[in-house]
Amino acid sequence: MISTAEATIGPFFPPRYVDQGANDLTVFDGRKARGDVIEIRGRVMQEDGTALENLIVEIWQADTQGIYRHPADPRHAQADANFLGWGRAATDAQGSYCFRTIKPGAPEGRLAHINFMVMFSGIMRILKTTMYFEEGSDPVLLSVPSERRKFLIAKNNEFNIRLRGENETPFFDD
Amino acid sequence: MKTTIQPRDERTQPSRIIEGYPQTPLRNPKQPLVKRAPTLSELTGPVEVAKRVKLLGGDIAGHGDKQAIGQLIHLKVRVLDEDGAPVGGAVVEVWQANGAGRYIHPNDDEHAPADVNFYGAARVVTDESGAFQLRTVKPGAYPVPTRDGWWRPPHIHFSLFGKVWLSRLVTQMYFPGEPLNAQDRILNAVPDAAARESLVARYVPPAADPYNALVFEHQIVLRGRAATPEQP
Repeated sequence: MISTAEATIGPFFPPRYVDQGANDLTVFDGRKARGDVIEIRGRVMQEDGTALENLIVEIWQADTQGIYRHPADPRHAQADANFLGWGRAATDAQGSYCFRTIKPGAPEGRLAHINFMVMFSGIMRILKTTMYFEEGSDPVLLSVPSERRKFLIAKNNEFNIRLRGENETPFFDD
Repeated sequence: MKTTIQPRDERTQPSRIIEGYPQTPLRNPKQPLVKRAPTLSELTGPVEVAKRVKLLGGDIAGHGDKQAIGQLIHLKVRVLDEDGAPVGGAVVEVWQANGAGRYIHPNDDEHAPADVNFYGAARVVTDESGAFQLRTVKPGAYPVPTRDGWWRPPHIHFSLFGKVWLSRLVTQMYFPGEPLNAQDRILNAVPDAAARESLVARYVPPAADPYNALVFEHQIVLRGRAATPEQP
Protein backbone atom coordinates (compact mmCIF):
# COMPACT_ATOMS: atom_id res chain seq x y z
CA MET A 1 0.00 0.00 0.00
CA ILE A 2 1.09 3.57 -0.63
CA SER A 3 1.85 5.46 2.56
CA THR A 4 -0.48 8.40 3.12
CA ALA A 5 0.68 11.79 1.84
CA GLU A 6 2.06 14.17 4.42
CA ALA A 7 0.69 17.68 4.91
CA THR A 8 1.64 20.72 6.88
CA ILE A 9 0.60 20.86 10.51
CA GLY A 10 -0.88 24.27 9.64
CA PRO A 11 -1.28 27.31 11.87
CA PHE A 12 -3.87 25.82 14.22
CA PHE A 13 -2.17 22.93 16.06
CA PRO A 14 -3.94 22.96 19.45
CA PRO A 15 -1.78 24.47 22.19
CA ARG A 16 -3.04 21.79 24.59
CA TYR A 17 -1.15 19.19 22.55
CA VAL A 18 2.07 20.63 23.91
CA ASP A 19 1.35 19.01 27.25
CA GLN A 20 2.83 20.62 30.30
CA GLY A 21 6.15 18.91 31.01
CA ALA A 22 6.34 17.25 27.59
CA ASN A 23 9.75 18.88 27.11
CA ASP A 24 11.13 17.35 30.33
CA LEU A 25 12.35 13.84 29.60
CA THR A 26 14.11 13.43 32.94
CA VAL A 27 10.95 12.40 34.77
CA PHE A 28 8.61 9.65 33.63
CA ASP A 29 5.55 8.58 35.56
CA GLY A 30 6.81 10.61 38.51
CA ARG A 31 10.17 8.81 38.68
CA LYS A 32 13.58 10.18 37.79
CA ALA A 33 15.56 8.79 34.88
CA ARG A 34 19.20 7.73 35.37
CA GLY A 35 22.10 9.67 33.94
CA ASP A 36 23.34 13.22 33.52
CA VAL A 37 20.64 15.86 33.23
CA ILE A 38 21.25 18.31 30.40
CA GLU A 39 19.32 21.19 28.91
CA ILE A 40 19.18 21.38 25.13
CA ARG A 41 18.06 24.67 23.70
CA GLY A 42 18.12 26.54 20.43
CA ARG A 43 16.33 28.87 18.05
CA VAL A 44 14.47 27.97 14.90
CA MET A 45 14.59 30.47 12.05
CA GLN A 46 13.25 30.70 8.54
CA GLU A 47 15.18 31.93 5.48
CA ASP A 48 15.09 35.66 6.34
CA GLY A 49 16.24 35.00 9.91
CA THR A 50 12.80 35.54 11.43
CA ALA A 51 12.35 33.49 14.58
CA LEU A 52 9.33 31.22 14.40
CA GLU A 53 6.88 31.03 17.29
CA ASN A 54 4.81 27.97 18.14
CA LEU A 55 6.81 25.74 15.88
CA ILE A 56 6.70 22.14 17.14
CA VAL A 57 9.96 20.32 17.88
CA GLU A 58 10.02 16.64 18.82
CA ILE A 59 13.01 14.58 19.89
CA TRP A 60 13.77 10.88 20.19
CA GLN A 61 16.87 9.49 21.82
CA ALA A 62 18.50 6.60 23.63
CA ASP A 63 18.83 6.46 27.41
CA THR A 64 22.04 7.03 29.39
CA GLN A 65 23.30 3.57 28.37
CA GLY A 66 22.59 4.12 24.67
CA ILE A 67 19.51 1.87 24.73
CA TYR A 68 16.22 2.69 22.99
CA ARG A 69 12.95 1.99 24.74
CA HIS A 70 11.65 0.02 21.78
CA PRO A 71 11.32 -3.71 21.06
CA ALA A 72 13.63 -3.48 18.02
CA ASP A 73 16.58 -2.66 20.28
CA PRO A 74 18.19 -6.00 21.21
CA ARG A 75 19.04 -4.52 24.62
CA HIS A 76 15.66 -2.92 25.30
CA ALA A 77 14.98 -5.18 28.29
CA GLN A 78 17.80 -3.30 30.05
CA ALA A 79 16.47 0.16 29.09
CA ASP A 80 15.92 2.65 31.90
CA ALA A 81 12.31 2.05 33.00
CA ASN A 82 12.03 5.70 33.95
CA PHE A 83 13.03 7.11 30.59
CA LEU A 84 10.74 7.29 27.57
CA GLY A 85 13.19 9.05 25.23
CA TRP A 86 10.54 11.20 23.53
CA GLY A 87 9.69 14.86 24.07
CA ARG A 88 7.83 17.72 22.46
CA ALA A 89 8.33 21.47 22.76
CA ALA A 90 6.87 24.56 21.11
CA THR A 91 9.07 27.55 20.33
CA ASP A 92 8.43 30.80 22.20
CA ALA A 93 8.14 34.33 20.75
CA GLN A 94 11.93 34.43 20.26
CA GLY A 95 11.81 31.19 18.29
CA SER A 96 13.48 29.30 21.13
CA TYR A 97 12.79 25.78 22.30
CA CYS A 98 14.16 23.97 25.31
CA PHE A 99 14.33 20.35 26.43
CA ARG A 100 15.45 19.00 29.76
CA THR A 101 16.75 15.53 29.15
CA ILE A 102 19.37 12.89 29.93
CA LYS A 103 22.61 12.92 27.97
CA PRO A 104 22.21 9.87 25.74
CA GLY A 105 24.79 7.12 25.75
CA ALA A 106 26.33 6.17 22.42
CA PRO A 107 24.32 3.39 20.77
CA GLU A 108 26.37 0.62 19.15
CA GLY A 109 28.20 1.96 16.10
CA ARG A 110 26.97 5.53 16.62
CA LEU A 111 28.08 8.68 18.35
CA ALA A 112 25.77 9.95 21.07
CA HIS A 113 23.02 11.91 19.31
CA ILE A 114 19.44 13.12 19.51
CA ASN A 115 16.93 12.82 16.66
CA PHE A 116 14.95 15.98 15.94
CA MET A 117 11.88 16.68 13.87
CA VAL A 118 10.20 20.01 13.21
CA MET A 119 6.63 20.68 12.19
CA PHE A 120 5.12 24.04 11.33
CA SER A 121 2.75 25.95 9.13
CA GLY A 122 4.21 25.89 5.63
CA ILE A 123 6.43 22.86 6.29
CA MET A 124 4.75 20.37 3.98
CA ARG A 125 6.73 17.33 5.10
CA ILE A 126 8.20 16.81 8.56
CA LEU A 127 11.85 17.93 8.55
CA LYS A 128 14.15 15.48 10.32
CA THR A 129 17.66 16.11 11.51
CA THR A 130 20.10 14.81 14.10
CA MET A 131 21.98 16.67 16.81
CA TYR A 132 25.46 15.61 17.94
CA PHE A 133 27.55 16.63 20.92
CA GLU A 134 30.87 16.35 19.10
CA GLU A 135 32.37 15.44 15.75
CA GLY A 136 33.51 11.91 15.12
CA SER A 137 32.85 8.75 13.19
CA ASP A 138 29.15 8.14 12.82
CA PRO A 139 27.42 6.75 9.72
CA VAL A 140 24.63 9.32 9.74
CA LEU A 141 26.97 12.26 10.37
CA LEU A 142 29.37 11.02 7.67
CA SER A 143 26.51 10.88 5.15
CA VAL A 144 26.32 14.69 5.41
CA PRO A 145 28.65 16.66 3.07
CA SER A 146 31.73 17.44 5.16
CA GLU A 147 31.37 21.24 4.96
CA ARG A 148 27.84 21.05 6.41
CA ARG A 149 28.51 18.64 9.31
CA LYS A 150 29.32 21.48 11.67
CA PHE A 151 25.67 22.56 11.61
CA LEU A 152 24.73 19.32 13.36
CA ILE A 153 27.14 19.73 16.26
CA ALA A 154 25.62 21.46 19.29
CA LYS A 155 27.77 23.99 21.14
CA ASN A 156 27.33 23.83 24.89
CA ASN A 157 24.06 22.00 24.22
CA GLU A 158 22.79 24.81 22.02
CA PHE A 159 21.39 23.56 18.74
CA ASN A 160 19.98 26.17 16.37
CA ILE A 161 17.91 25.12 13.41
CA ARG A 162 17.95 27.20 10.23
CA LEU A 163 15.20 25.90 7.95
CA ARG A 164 16.56 27.51 4.78
CA GLY A 165 19.29 29.79 3.56
CA GLU A 166 22.67 30.71 5.03
CA ASN A 167 23.96 28.10 7.50
CA GLU A 168 21.02 25.89 6.58
CA THR A 169 20.64 22.89 8.86
CA PRO A 170 21.11 19.60 7.00
CA PHE A 171 17.86 17.64 6.88
CA PHE A 172 17.57 14.01 5.93
CA ASP A 173 15.79 12.52 2.97
CA ASP A 174 13.72 10.07 4.98
CA MET B 1 9.38 -6.46 16.05
CA LYS B 2 11.68 -4.93 13.46
CA THR B 3 10.39 -2.49 10.88
CA THR B 4 11.84 -1.75 7.48
CA ILE B 5 11.43 1.58 5.72
CA GLN B 6 11.78 1.96 1.97
CA PRO B 7 12.02 5.23 0.05
CA ARG B 8 8.69 6.63 -1.06
CA ASP B 9 7.51 7.42 -4.55
CA GLU B 10 7.95 11.20 -4.47
CA ARG B 11 4.83 11.68 -6.59
CA THR B 12 2.71 10.43 -3.71
CA GLN B 13 3.97 13.22 -1.42
CA PRO B 14 3.33 16.96 -1.59
CA SER B 15 5.74 19.45 -3.13
CA ARG B 16 7.61 21.30 -0.43
CA ILE B 17 7.22 24.66 -2.11
CA ILE B 18 3.77 25.63 -3.31
CA GLU B 19 2.87 28.56 -5.54
CA GLY B 20 0.40 30.79 -3.74
CA TYR B 21 1.35 29.49 -0.28
CA PRO B 22 3.75 32.25 0.77
CA GLN B 23 5.27 30.58 3.83
CA THR B 24 6.53 27.54 1.91
CA PRO B 25 9.49 29.18 0.11
CA LEU B 26 10.84 30.51 3.42
CA ARG B 27 10.58 27.38 5.54
CA ASN B 28 11.69 24.47 3.42
CA PRO B 29 15.31 23.54 2.71
CA LYS B 30 17.12 24.86 -0.31
CA GLN B 31 19.99 22.39 -0.03
CA PRO B 32 19.35 18.84 -1.20
CA LEU B 33 18.10 16.55 1.54
CA VAL B 34 20.79 14.19 2.78
CA LYS B 35 20.32 10.51 2.04
CA ARG B 36 21.12 8.15 4.90
CA ALA B 37 20.74 4.45 5.53
CA PRO B 38 18.35 4.10 8.49
CA THR B 39 19.98 2.84 11.66
CA LEU B 40 18.45 1.47 14.85
CA SER B 41 17.97 5.06 16.02
CA GLU B 42 15.48 5.90 13.25
CA LEU B 43 14.01 2.38 13.17
CA THR B 44 12.92 2.65 16.78
CA GLY B 45 10.63 5.31 18.14
CA PRO B 46 8.30 6.29 20.94
CA VAL B 47 5.70 3.52 21.18
CA GLU B 48 4.49 4.52 24.64
CA VAL B 49 3.51 8.14 23.97
CA ALA B 50 0.08 7.34 25.43
CA LYS B 51 1.77 7.11 28.83
CA ARG B 52 3.21 10.59 28.45
CA VAL B 53 0.39 12.70 27.00
CA LYS B 54 -3.20 13.27 28.08
CA LEU B 55 -5.76 11.38 26.01
CA LEU B 56 -8.91 13.33 25.23
CA GLY B 57 -11.20 10.72 23.74
CA GLY B 58 -12.80 10.77 20.30
CA ASP B 59 -16.27 12.14 21.07
CA ILE B 60 -15.92 15.89 20.62
CA ALA B 61 -19.38 16.90 19.38
CA GLY B 62 -20.87 17.41 22.86
CA HIS B 63 -24.10 16.09 24.33
CA GLY B 64 -27.43 17.34 25.65
CA ASP B 65 -27.58 21.12 25.76
CA LYS B 66 -23.81 21.24 25.11
CA GLN B 67 -23.98 19.92 21.55
CA ALA B 68 -21.79 21.55 18.93
CA ILE B 69 -23.56 23.18 15.99
CA GLY B 70 -23.08 21.56 12.62
CA GLN B 71 -23.61 18.35 10.73
CA LEU B 72 -22.99 15.49 13.16
CA ILE B 73 -20.61 12.94 11.66
CA HIS B 74 -19.22 9.57 12.72
CA LEU B 75 -15.77 9.05 11.26
CA LYS B 76 -14.35 5.53 11.27
CA VAL B 77 -10.63 5.44 10.56
CA ARG B 78 -8.23 2.52 10.20
CA VAL B 79 -4.48 2.90 10.53
CA LEU B 80 -2.41 0.38 8.57
CA ASP B 81 1.22 -0.16 7.62
CA GLU B 82 2.42 -0.49 4.04
CA ASP B 83 1.65 -4.23 4.12
CA GLY B 84 -1.93 -3.46 5.09
CA ALA B 85 -1.34 -4.79 8.62
CA PRO B 86 -3.23 -2.89 11.34
CA VAL B 87 -1.20 -0.53 13.52
CA GLY B 88 -2.63 -0.93 16.99
CA GLY B 89 -1.72 1.20 20.00
CA ALA B 90 -0.91 4.25 17.88
CA VAL B 91 -1.54 7.66 19.42
CA VAL B 92 -3.56 9.83 17.03
CA GLU B 93 -4.00 13.58 17.48
CA VAL B 94 -6.94 15.15 15.67
CA TRP B 95 -7.81 18.82 15.20
CA GLN B 96 -10.31 20.64 13.06
CA ALA B 97 -12.34 23.82 12.55
CA ASN B 98 -15.90 24.05 13.84
CA GLY B 99 -18.96 23.83 11.63
CA ALA B 100 -18.50 27.46 10.60
CA GLY B 101 -14.81 27.08 9.65
CA ARG B 102 -13.33 28.61 12.81
CA TYR B 103 -10.53 27.17 14.94
CA ILE B 104 -10.22 27.76 18.66
CA HIS B 105 -6.67 29.07 18.33
CA PRO B 106 -5.01 32.48 18.78
CA ASN B 107 -3.88 32.36 15.13
CA ASP B 108 -7.44 32.30 13.80
CA ASP B 109 -9.02 35.63 13.03
CA GLU B 110 -12.67 36.28 13.68
CA HIS B 111 -14.11 35.77 10.25
CA ALA B 112 -16.53 33.14 11.57
CA PRO B 113 -18.16 32.52 14.94
CA ALA B 114 -16.66 30.37 17.67
CA ASP B 115 -18.91 27.64 19.06
CA VAL B 116 -18.77 27.50 22.86
CA ASN B 117 -19.50 23.78 22.68
CA PHE B 118 -16.71 22.91 20.27
CA TYR B 119 -12.96 22.96 20.89
CA GLY B 120 -12.09 20.66 17.99
CA ALA B 121 -9.35 18.42 19.39
CA ALA B 122 -9.39 14.66 19.96
CA ARG B 123 -6.50 12.49 21.09
CA VAL B 124 -7.06 8.76 20.90
CA VAL B 125 -5.23 5.43 20.62
CA THR B 126 -5.95 2.89 17.87
CA ASP B 127 -7.31 -0.50 18.92
CA GLU B 128 -5.80 -3.87 17.93
CA SER B 129 -7.43 -3.63 14.50
CA GLY B 130 -5.80 -0.24 13.94
CA ALA B 131 -9.19 1.48 14.25
CA PHE B 132 -10.34 4.63 15.97
CA GLN B 133 -13.61 6.52 15.81
CA LEU B 134 -14.62 10.12 16.07
CA ARG B 135 -17.99 11.64 16.86
CA THR B 136 -17.69 15.22 15.69
CA VAL B 137 -19.24 17.83 13.41
CA LYS B 138 -18.22 18.31 9.83
CA PRO B 139 -15.72 21.20 9.69
CA GLY B 140 -16.63 24.24 7.64
CA ALA B 141 -14.50 25.69 4.84
CA TYR B 142 -12.60 28.90 5.51
CA PRO B 143 -10.68 31.56 3.57
CA VAL B 144 -6.89 31.54 3.91
CA PRO B 145 -5.56 35.02 4.77
CA THR B 146 -3.60 35.17 1.51
CA ARG B 147 -6.69 37.18 0.39
CA ASP B 148 -6.44 35.93 -3.17
CA GLY B 149 -9.38 33.60 -3.20
CA TRP B 150 -7.83 30.51 -1.65
CA TRP B 151 -10.29 28.72 0.58
CA ARG B 152 -9.45 25.58 2.48
CA PRO B 153 -12.07 22.90 1.84
CA PRO B 154 -13.53 21.11 4.86
CA HIS B 155 -10.70 18.97 6.26
CA ILE B 156 -9.51 17.28 9.44
CA HIS B 157 -5.87 17.25 10.61
CA PHE B 158 -4.20 14.11 11.96
CA SER B 159 -0.86 13.58 13.70
CA LEU B 160 0.09 9.93 14.20
CA PHE B 161 2.81 8.07 16.08
CA GLY B 162 3.63 4.78 14.39
CA LYS B 163 6.00 2.00 15.37
CA VAL B 164 9.19 3.87 14.55
CA TRP B 165 10.56 7.43 14.23
CA LEU B 166 10.36 7.35 10.44
CA SER B 167 6.68 6.38 10.44
CA ARG B 168 5.62 9.57 12.27
CA LEU B 169 2.98 11.24 10.10
CA VAL B 170 1.13 14.55 9.92
CA THR B 171 -1.62 14.57 7.30
CA GLN B 172 -5.04 15.98 6.44
CA MET B 173 -8.27 14.27 5.42
CA TYR B 174 -10.84 15.74 3.03
CA PHE B 175 -14.53 15.10 2.35
CA PRO B 176 -15.94 13.63 -0.87
CA GLY B 177 -17.85 15.77 -3.33
CA GLU B 178 -16.54 19.12 -2.08
CA PRO B 179 -16.09 21.60 -4.94
CA LEU B 180 -13.26 23.33 -3.06
CA ASN B 181 -11.16 20.15 -3.16
CA ALA B 182 -10.31 20.77 -6.82
CA GLN B 183 -8.61 24.12 -6.14
CA ASP B 184 -7.04 23.55 -2.73
CA ARG B 185 -3.33 24.31 -2.88
CA ILE B 186 -2.38 21.83 -0.17
CA LEU B 187 -4.39 18.83 -1.42
CA ASN B 188 -3.28 19.48 -5.00
CA ALA B 189 0.38 19.74 -4.03
CA VAL B 190 0.38 15.92 -4.21
CA PRO B 191 1.15 15.12 -7.86
CA ASP B 192 -0.20 11.56 -7.99
CA ALA B 193 -3.98 11.41 -8.52
CA ALA B 194 -4.45 8.11 -6.66
CA ALA B 195 -2.46 9.44 -3.70
CA ARG B 196 -4.67 12.55 -3.62
CA GLU B 197 -7.81 10.41 -3.84
CA SER B 198 -6.64 8.39 -0.83
CA LEU B 199 -6.76 11.60 1.26
CA VAL B 200 -10.51 11.86 0.69
CA ALA B 201 -12.79 9.99 3.11
CA ARG B 202 -15.42 7.59 1.81
CA TYR B 203 -19.05 8.49 2.32
CA VAL B 204 -21.05 5.55 3.73
CA PRO B 205 -24.71 5.53 2.63
CA PRO B 206 -27.04 6.14 5.60
CA ALA B 207 -27.81 3.11 7.72
CA ALA B 208 -28.43 2.51 11.40
CA ASP B 209 -25.68 4.30 13.30
CA PRO B 210 -25.19 4.36 17.07
CA TYR B 211 -24.53 8.10 16.97
CA ASN B 212 -27.39 8.81 14.53
CA ALA B 213 -24.76 10.63 12.48
CA LEU B 214 -23.61 10.68 8.87
CA VAL B 215 -20.90 8.07 8.53
CA PHE B 216 -17.56 8.45 6.74
CA GLU B 217 -14.74 5.93 6.53
CA HIS B 218 -11.09 6.67 6.04
CA GLN B 219 -7.79 4.83 5.89
CA ILE B 220 -4.34 6.08 6.85
CA VAL B 221 -1.22 4.16 5.83
CA LEU B 222 1.92 4.72 7.91
CA ARG B 223 5.36 4.09 6.47
CA GLY B 224 7.02 0.80 7.23
CA ARG B 225 6.61 -2.94 6.96
CA ALA B 226 7.27 -5.66 9.46
CA ALA B 227 10.68 -7.07 8.61
CA THR B 228 10.78 -10.70 7.60
CA PRO B 229 12.45 -12.57 10.46
CA GLU B 230 16.00 -13.54 9.63
CA GLN B 231 16.65 -17.22 8.97
CA PRO B 232 18.61 -18.85 11.79
